[in-house]
Amino acid sequence: MAQTIASDQAGVHSNRLGGRAFLRLGTGAWLLLLPALAFFVGYQVWPIVRVLWLSFTDYKFLSNDPSQWVGLANYVEALGDPLMWQSLWRAALFTMMFLPGTIILPLLLAVLIDRVTNRRLATIYRVVLLIPAVIPSTLIFVLWKWMYNYQVGPINHFLVNTTGLFTLQNAPQWLGGTPLTLPSIAIMEIWWGLGYHTIFFLAGLAAIPKDLPDAARIDGANEWQVFWHVVRPRLAPIMMILVVLRFGTAMAVIDEYLIFGGFNRASPTYTWTIFMYDQAFKTGLWRQGYAAAIGMIGAVAMMIVMVLLIRIFRPRD
Amino acid sequence: MSVRKEEEHVVQRALRRQLLQGTIDRRQFLTRSMVAGLGMAGVAAATKTGIGPAFAADDRPLTPTFYQWIENLHPGIATVNGEFPGINYQIAPVEGFGIERFVAEAKAGESTWDVYVGQTPFVEMTAMKEAGVIEPWDDYMPKEVLDDIIPSIREENTIDGKMYGWPFLLDVIGTGWHSGLTDKAGVADEAPATWDDFLAAGQKVVDSKAAPWGATFDSHGWRSVAPITHSMSTDVYTPEGLFDFTSEPAIEALKLMKTIMAMANPDILLEGATDAGVNGTPDEVAFAAQRVALYFKYFNAPLRMAANWDDPTLLHLGPLPKFPNGEGSTVFWTTGCALFKYGQNKEKAAEYIKALTYDPQIWKDSIVGTPSGHPGQLPPYKSIYADWDANKPDWMPPFVGLVRGQLDRAKAITNNLFGLQQFVIGKPIWETYLKGEESDPKVAMQKVVDAVQAEVKKG
Amino acid sequence: MTQEATIPLSPPLARRHEPSWFGKNRPVIVRHAVIIFFMIIIILPLVWVLMMSVKSLPDSMRGDFWPRQFDFTHYSFVFERIRTLPINLFNSIYVTTATVLITTACAVLAGFSLVHLRPRGAGIVVAVLLVSLYFPVRVVSIISIYQTQNWLGLINNTAGLILPYITLQLAISILIMRSMFQLVPHELIEAAKIDGAGAWRTLLTIGVPMVRNGLVVVFIVNFVTAWGEYLLCLTLIDDEAKRTMPVVLAAAQGGQGQWAWPNLAAVYVIVVMPGIIAFTFAQKLFFKGLMEGMVKG
Repeated sequence: MAQTIASDQAGVHSNRLGGRAFLRLGTGAWLLLLPALAFFVGYQVWPIVRVLWLSFTDYKFLSNDPSQWVGLANYVEALGDPLMWQSLWRAALFTMMFLPGTIILPLLLAVLIDRVTNRRLATIYRVVLLIPAVIPSTLIFVLWKWMYNYQVGPINHFLVNTTGLFTLQNAPQWLGGTPLTLPSIAIMEIWWGLGYHTIFFLAGLAAIPKDLPDAARIDGANEWQVFWHVVRPRLAPIMMILVVLRFGTAMAVIDEYLIFGGFNRASPTYTWTIFMYDQAFKTGLWRQGYAAAIGMIGAVAMMIVMVLLIRIFRPRD
Repeated sequence: MSVRKEEEHVVQRALRRQLLQGTIDRRQFLTRSMVAGLGMAGVAAATKTGIGPAFAADDRPLTPTFYQWIENLHPGIATVNGEFPGINYQIAPVEGFGIERFVAEAKAGESTWDVYVGQTPFVEMTAMKEAGVIEPWDDYMPKEVLDDIIPSIREENTIDGKMYGWPFLLDVIGTGWHSGLTDKAGVADEAPATWDDFLAAGQKVVDSKAAPWGATFDSHGWRSVAPITHSMSTDVYTPEGLFDFTSEPAIEALKLMKTIMAMANPDILLEGATDAGVNGTPDEVAFAAQRVALYFKYFNAPLRMAANWDDPTLLHLGPLPKFPNGEGSTVFWTTGCALFKYGQNKEKAAEYIKALTYDPQIWKDSIVGTPSGHPGQLPPYKSIYADWDANKPDWMPPFVGLVRGQLDRAKAITNNLFGLQQFVIGKPIWETYLKGEESDPKVAMQKVVDAVQAEVKKG
Repeated sequence: MTQEATIPLSPPLARRHEPSWFGKNRPVIVRHAVIIFFMIIIILPLVWVLMMSVKSLPDSMRGDFWPRQFDFTHYSFVFERIRTLPINLFNSIYVTTATVLITTACAVLAGFSLVHLRPRGAGIVVAVLLVSLYFPVRVVSIISIYQTQNWLGLINNTAGLILPYITLQLAISILIMRSMFQLVPHELIEAAKIDGAGAWRTLLTIGVPMVRNGLVVVFIVNFVTAWGEYLLCLTLIDDEAKRTMPVVLAAAQGGQGQWAWPNLAAVYVIVVMPGIIAFTFAQKLFFKGLMEGMVKG
């Protein structure tokens, strides 16, 4: 990388390749971008392109037969398999359970914390809230897997022993493929994202000039009206970004289902991501061509809904 | 790290020899040397492209691969490995009994590993033999070892007169109970002789509120349906070697399971927490939490769970109950070793397995327990038991003699390509009866048979 | 309670016509009560794990919050007895460190370049990065990543994990650094150019110090992601000794033997505590960086 420092102060137009010419040509710019782009293209762009290509073949990883181009056959097979739709629906179900909680609760908290005038308390609140966000994902899942344990987990202990709301016989069976499994995971995700989203909304609230809500209050509006008419419209853009982003991550969940569920097709955690993974790395000869098609179908379905969401919720200015 | 260097050196030597002999040309020599430099991890990838034959000349170190839980429960393995310097010890990618990797490699005529420790005959052995993954030990197992194996175990590991499995860890299904809880309930501190006694004891525990639940079991078929069926009769296999779900004993077993469930932990049918749901099951948690008095499973389960009690010595073990006019048998299986057909170092492998299976420290640790675990699994050899009988070690607990005695009455689940699968397929179906969705056990079991047959026909 | 009340405090005992202290400050009290309620919900699980790590074995199976008998030996047990634990921890540490360093470096370079060097096509690059945030890249591309790693001979190779790990949060890191650099006035950079500094020097002496807060954010985000990555490690590595810590924890044998629950909890505390402690120290910078980054983005 040319690091020549043009020595002449007056020499603004240096001719040597270095210093200013380097910057002017723009090659320096691309050079600095190169490492990031190399990784991005190599491990994100290229794999997607290849997966797309794979989805049109009958490639099986564990087989030595050469793979054949089969056109849309994988897609036809996948779309015709009820499991594909079932698994997509399960992911959608989870998303519907998760999204409202992960928007409304943080919003509430943000509004509350925003009004706290004691700086130190506000800081303490924010730090505590963010603690789950700095715990690595897998450890969050492991923690909640223990917590939800039917026999000895603290949640059931609280419900049965401490509050007596349930007995040992009818205590909720949170995990293991029961109907409560998806809500359990949703609750965990909401807990996890609480702090992060609260901070997000706090930033948005900080951008609202203080005199606006104050003026509304002087005019006699109560807190709810202040929120609905003054604050909410201004938060709308941020809210929309969060909704769309979270929709994306919720539909594409896979680690949680691997840890909390398994490969039982009847389980509510068997979503399209697990279906894809199952076909690619678990069953039979690892039909990665077919799995690629499943993945593509899921991704495209998701993107379509996301575009719709953006259209519907686009803030009307 | 030195293992890798030695591998590379060994491989280079072989390649050079091949080049000199004219078996390979310069280009192949260079390619294969490069591949060898990637280390054994790269071999798996490279062998897919046909570099495998380069290693056919027996020039890699002994490469055994183990099912993860075996290493977890038997820390003595590391010591045995120490006696075989240069050994390339691996963990097998077989969660939930998956053998796809082995099958795929065999199809290509290759094998990354030499011997697999973790094969249970009724589970994978037939499938591995049919897929051409494994070959018999007969040419490599010393005759005195072969004769030393307990006859029923030898039969379990035999297909067409040949030993496709070298047995290692013996498990027998029996009863365990929390004598503290049974005492509190006023139940006799002994293994229930019949299933009626078992039910009565469990009911008494619940009624006296000594514990929330009276009895529990592991809901997977080979740990519940099979042993209860055997306790009535072991003549419950079809000519093809499949479990006869519609037989009288099997139906009785299913009905009994439903009766037990009325006094068992409510989550008894849920999948386990680990190993694709096969391990870490709810019955284990309940027993470890001292919330249930009676338990039947392979003995290493109550042993391991009791380690969590205030007083583990309260655990008592006994034989599985029987039906009043039943045979009184139970299920046993061994977890053993399979010889990869396309592996290498076969004589070395036999040496290694012999050392492993006869190692006294492994057996002592297994029986007495270590901080790492208390598996309670036993050896397959007559001579070891004879030795113990002759000079009884002071650490020998009574359950060993019990299990050994039970073994003579126990029968293994018949080997079949669908030996394990039939239970996996059947579980959700017979559970419709257990959950009350289907009122007639015969109907449920017939559906199980139909489903299994459908799978068998698919081939 | 707090210094918030600007209304004069009335003694609750005196009978007055004015509303009591509680009445006047009710909104404040309610506000803090609600917030504290959520604080407790957030902290409680972590405290539970902490308690679990010092419970005796029988107590760990009882579910009561406070153990009847404390047992502090689990922490030493996990290091002395679990053979692969130090190795797994080591794997996690070096994979995460390498990932964080490389990703941060790439992001800083890219962010600086996109904003102040303005290459042609920068707009397309940013657009692609943004889109990648919405597309389920990681899940769908795992198939191909496995093949790539296989081709490179990196299956079952711990260091090989670093390559895909870098890209996990690369896009967002670049975008964050870009936001940060947008806050650095372009005139400053231009001034440096006029003074004759090359691109590197400008970046290192002027650019980087000004985006310090962004660096903290990028660091933490990448650290947390790389440390906790499950899917890639699970798929690309079979051998337990070569895996990273969280993946091993997730697969730990149902709480028995050496992986008995107090032991699991002890490992958990060991793995999680440093991150939390480090965060509380760095939190001021982190929040500054977040605010600056988000307001822009």
